[in-house]
Amino acid sequence: MILRTLLFRGICLGVAALAGFSLYRIGLLDASRVGPALSNLAEFTSSLFPPNDDVLPTLLDAMLETVQIAFVGTLLGFLISLPLAFLCARTLFGLAVTAPARLTVGAIRTVPSILWGVLFVVAYGLGPEAGALAISFYTVGYLGKLYYEAFEAVDPEVMEAVRGTGGNRLQLIAYAVLPESANALISNLLFMFEYNIRASTIMGFVGAGGIGFYMLGYLQLLQYQNLMTALLLTFVVVMAVDYLSARLRGLVLPSQQPTRRAPVLAAVTSLWR
Amino acid sequence: MDARSILGMQAAAPAGTQASGAGNAPAPGGSLCIEARDLWFTYDGRAYVLKGVTLGVRRGAMTMVLGRSGSGKTTLLKTLKGLTRPQRGTVTVLADDRLDDRRAPAHAVAYLPQGLGLVRSLSALDNALTGALSRVGTLRSLARSFPKATLEEAKETIARLGLAHKLYEPVYRLSGGERQRVAIARALMQKPSVILADEFVSQLDPITADEILEMMRAVSREGISLLITTHETHVVARFGDRIVVMRDGGVIHDGPSGSLSEDGMVAILR
Repeated sequence: MILRTLLFRGICLGVAALAGFSLYRIGLLDASRVGPALSNLAEFTSSLFPPNDDVLPTLLDAMLETVQIAFVGTLLGFLISLPLAFLCARTLFGLAVTAPARLTVGAIRTVPSILWGVLFVVAYGLGPEAGALAISFYTVGYLGKLYYEAFEAVDPEVMEAVRGTGGNRLQLIAYAVLPESANALISNLLFMFEYNIRASTIMGFVGAGGIGFYMLGYLQLLQYQNLMTALLLTFVVVMAVDYLSARLRGLVLPSQQPTRRAPVLAAVTSLWR
Repeated sequence: MDARSILGMQAAAPAGTQASGAGNAPAPGGSLCIEARDLWFTYDGRAYVLKGVTLGVRRGAMTMVLGRSGSGKTTLLKTLKGLTRPQRGTVTVLADDRLDDRRAPAHAVAYLPQGLGLVRSLSALDNALTGALSRVGTLRSLARSFPKATLEEAKETIARLGLAHKLYEPVYRLSGGERQRVAIARALMQKPSVILADEFVSQLDPITADEILEMMRAVSREGISLLITTHETHVVARFGDRIVVMRDGGVIHDGPSGSLSEDGMVAILR
């Protein structure tokens, strides 16, 4: 007990020391810079107002493109990540399959979305195609991991029972893995779409389409009132998507309780039947 | 009748372990549908969970395996099903002449895990249909397009078990007893020669448990063998055609119904 207390105190002290060192290294402990920083911030903030609504029609069109990039990117990413996640699941495949599949997902996840954007701008040229592809790869990196973890969390007794009926691997996926993890699949997909709306905004900074392209231009041309309009529009859209996503989640996933997480699947299977 | 082995490993006797108790040869009399000989199994390479278990399950009989927690009952069932592979010993599934069975022999062995292993978000009917997966083509099953005969068979099986009105009800909305029936329906849809059920009425109230076990008895009268593990002596005394008692990974008693009183069971388990 005493050893654990000492260990805990040691860890707390270590974290505090690391935080202090990091703050010093990045310059946040330099009091002489705080005053000018606040003054600059106040000046910049005042130059953002009033927002310029003349640019609204142009920005609305660009915002629509951003949402489309996020939507297409999320959809493509979902379609790629689903089979890849099956290959990553150790409850479905052996090490010879899961190791390279996990390495692939890990490697994709390592690259930030903005770098995927640069890569596809180089490959495809400027425009939303590059943005959508960048978002899809970024999505694969994250959904791939979240999905294979969900697949591996399926109750082993369900897997044993379905396997025990003589079902092959594909049937095991269709009759045990997918139904049992449907909630996690849908919930993570909705979250990824919300996240990708924000990520797609940044895509324009590297010329991969959407409202970010205009934001960067306004910044470079010091047109801060136009920038404020773009920021407000982005805020409204992000809030709207969050709200709609929450409503959709509430509709199909009324609860995260395992015993109540079936309505979406029941609806899907009834349509399928 | 031909013997088809689903597990056929032979290995040197594990050092430092001994077969315990009785059951060194399968019980004589009556045809067997599944036979285990000298099963040894360890999860960690050190402590053996099964120590030389030899057991025969008779065709059409309700064999009850009684034992305390940790006596090796679940591991025995998993080994008989082929879900775990013994370090030593064999499990032989004997083909049933009544079935025109071209499937792999393991498919004739249905397994009901303790938690039933039902897919909660699927309907009772869909869960029952999973029992027929080995008989239906992969593409048809993936498209949820089961042959009409199989679909009707699943509906009739569920109806026979008293759940006709809950065919399309998702399992998460069913009661414990109803889930038990769906699990039995899934097992029956597998067209098994033997059903291995692990402690599967332990969590039910006594009346529902009796109903389910009566149902299982009716199933055994149709010629399907049953091997049910339990730790409840009254269940064994009331329903077992054959009583097997396990302790510390070995079989310490294997005899017909009535060969042990309830008090005798308690005494032998201590």
